[in-house]
Amino acid sequence: MVEAKQKRRRRLQATKGFYKAYIKKFYRDAHKAKAEGKPVAWVASTFPVEILQAMDIFPVWPENYASLCAAKRVAVKFCEIAESRNFSKDLCSYARCVIGSLSDKENSPEEGLPRPDMLVASTGACDTHFKWFQYIGDRFKAPLHLLNMPYNISGADSEHLEKAHIEFYISQLKELIDFLEEKTDTKLDKKRLKEITALSDRTSQLWGEIQHYRKTIPSPMDARDAFSAVFFLLSIPGSPAAVEFYERLRNEVKERAENKFGAAETENYRLVWDNLPPWFDLKFFEYLNTLGAVVVAETFSHVWMGRLDPSRPFESFAKKYLPNFANCSIDRKIHLIQDLAEEFSADGVILPTNWGCRMMSIGETAVKEEVYRKLGVQSLIVNMDSTDRRNYDEAQIKRNMEVFLQVLNEKNQNG
Amino acid sequence: MDVLRPFRTLLSIKHDVARSWQAKGKHLVGWSCAYTPEELIYAANSIPIMVSGSLEPSKHADVYLPINTCSFVRSCFDSALKGDYEYLDGLVISNSCDNRNKIFDLWKHHVKIPYVHFINTPHTRTEGTHNFFYDEIFRFKTSLQVTFGEKLSDTTLKNAIRIFNENRLLLKKVYDLRMKDPPLISGAEALEIVLSSMVTSKEEHNVLLKRLLAGASNRADPPKGGVRLLVSGSVVDNSKPIRIIEAIGGSVVADDLCTGSKYFWDLVSSHGDPLRAIAKRYLDKVSSSFMLEPGTNFSHTIEMAERFDVEAVIVFALKFCDTHMFDAPQLVKEFEARDLPVLYLEWEHSLSGSAQLKTRIEAFLEMVKGVG
Ligand code: SF4
Ligand code: SF4
Repeated sequence: MVEAKQKRRRRLQATKGFYKAYIKKFYRDAHKAKAEGKPVAWVASTFPVEILQAMDIFPVWPENYASLCAAKRVAVKFCEIAESRNFSKDLCSYARCVIGSLSDKENSPEEGLPRPDMLVASTGACDTHFKWFQYIGDRFKAPLHLLNMPYNISGADSEHLEKAHIEFYISQLKELIDFLEEKTDTKLDKKRLKEITALSDRTSQLWGEIQHYRKTIPSPMDARDAFSAVFFLLSIPGSPAAVEFYERLRNEVKERAENKFGAAETENYRLVWDNLPPWFDLKFFEYLNTLGAVVVAETFSHVWMGRLDPSRPFESFAKKYLPNFANCSIDRKIHLIQDLAEEFSADGVILPTNWGCRMMSIGETAVKEEVYRKLGVQSLIVNMDSTDRRNYDEAQIKRNMEVFLQVLNEKNQNG
Repeated sequence: MDVLRPFRTLLSIKHDVARSWQAKGKHLVGWSCAYTPEELIYAANSIPIMVSGSLEPSKHADVYLPINTCSFVRSCFDSALKGDYEYLDGLVISNSCDNRNKIFDLWKHHVKIPYVHFINTPHTRTEGTHNFFYDEIFRFKTSLQVTFGEKLSDTTLKNAIRIFNENRLLLKKVYDLRMKDPPLISGAEALEIVLSSMVTSKEEHNVLLKRLLAGASNRADPPKGGVRLLVSGSVVDNSKPIRIIEAIGGSVVADDLCTGSKYFWDLVSSHGDPLRAIAKRYLDKVSSSFMLEPGTNFSHTIEMAERFDVEAVIVFALKFCDTHMFDAPQLVKEFEARDLPVLYLEWEHSLSGSAQLKTRIEAFLEMVKGVG
């Protein structure tokens, strides 16, 4: 039975052994950098990490670390430690997990996160980022810098942003650079920033091509691979390693697309997936495959992409980060999901919420309604948590999923 | 006591009060975050009205909002869906927290209000953020002028500043009545006084406050007193939770609420350009927990605890209010380090489960009395 199931998924060569080859290495490098006295910054997403890379500051991502703890099945334990110290169980599970991990080094995968010399976050995704980091900063006596991002209330895309918003964002980048220069006692090298920006742009371009091939029927790549592979785009976009990896992945996905070789043996339902996956159970996507369903696009794979003009890095960062849907009114997410559903020929949309995350939970009803109204495509809201397994009712979720696919099936047959 | 009754009444008929201002030719502009520069609204021949919730279950809002949404925001939205705020001529929203941001579209789609304005509020204070916030305030001013066809001149702005500052100073005096032991007014009364300032004209409220201050010292029915408490939290827009505490031996003499002391503590400077002074006051005011302060955000809370000589603290975090829930563990530690007993509670805006809350508060008060 198990074997039969596994057969349904056809692993990409490029992502095989991803954890060992890339994640483990990343944390090894982080600890090494720390040991060598290089500055280490904790960073929260929706942040122009390219600037840190250009200044040789090693960026580590507590969010990524939490997802890793979830995959290693130690997250619940860490969350409980945080809760025993008055951190509410309704707070973001990423934050609880990482806070708890600090008190249990022994069970922390990859020897934990290296101690921060500084922390940086933006207001772009959520309140959690800077409140969580404020606590960590206090705890380690490390300075925290917060980059204010004007909330993009009109949901403007990069071409239609308000001029005042771009200008303010750029002035905030200058504040950030002052902070980094002071803390590291080095000047930002503009030439180096250009190089990193060019690499980051190339990373996004390649990732975009990879996504493009997933429009093919059957889709050559599934969410399980995407949620691993997106690591480079998120964590170290401006690096040769990212470019090298994505070139390899792109070639493989391209070849599959040309040969009409799908990620799953049968592809009866093409799905769009919003927000985060259950990091503790990425096999969930294999289970979907056994039902003939394939996730062909994740919003997560699309919001972190952004083309950059190396000759104007600051303006490029504004255009890349301000339209991220986390920083926008729900309309923007609605449009993105509609576009994905159309371009990727999706039959349905899965809208997982995340218990401790307002950004990913509020508004999903509006997305569901609007996507149906405009395209006639159905969505399923799945109440869950990306990291805290206690907020994940597996049996219930699987039942709902099966009923949902049944509905899609009936629709396909009638329509 | 007669001088107190008008405040309660204002709250119990708040929608009628608002409508009566409209009948007198005022525009009504709703707001929900204490970082909204109300002086501008006032100067635009309008009355700023705080949009608040009710204690009823939020059936209407539940259709659109998941259960893990701040129950205050949910309750406000519920009231609006029921049509409680259909008289509003406008609404101002700001990006003070995720719950507020993300619900903006739902307001826009489901509640028909003719004019909605959004203010971008930075979360730090630097020269750059001050400039940006000033521009936001300037934009708001222009938008009000255009929408309502009212001219906001330096004179009208200065007049609004004067009236609002007077209100703030009077409210401080009201708070000072609680320094006595037992206090001259109860915590529930104090909260109702502040809340009632948000549902009517400040000028009228000032008249009521002066009357109260003149009569308060010889009131015939002073509060009984009890364990002197500070209540810490975000929004408490109904006196019921405070009444619960005060019915079982607590005496709430201080707070750091967004709807309490943090609402009125800071004045607008009456010198220089009024618009700049307003922008500065709001960004520099006693921080809400969404502002990033170097170190912690608790200096005001601690100042309140000391000034009002409290014996214990109740940290009252509204469920799903992330910024406060993140502060809570630290705040608890701060007070423990000062040898003040602290109780940390999470509560639902509708007060569902209040029997359990009550039991825990009772036990806490017993413990404090035992120690003292
Ligand atoms: S899951 Fe949500 S609350 Fe948590 S860090 Fe991400 S965006 Fe913020
Ligand atoms: S109570 Fe907290 S979450 Fe709710 S609106 Fe206020 S700050 Fe936001």
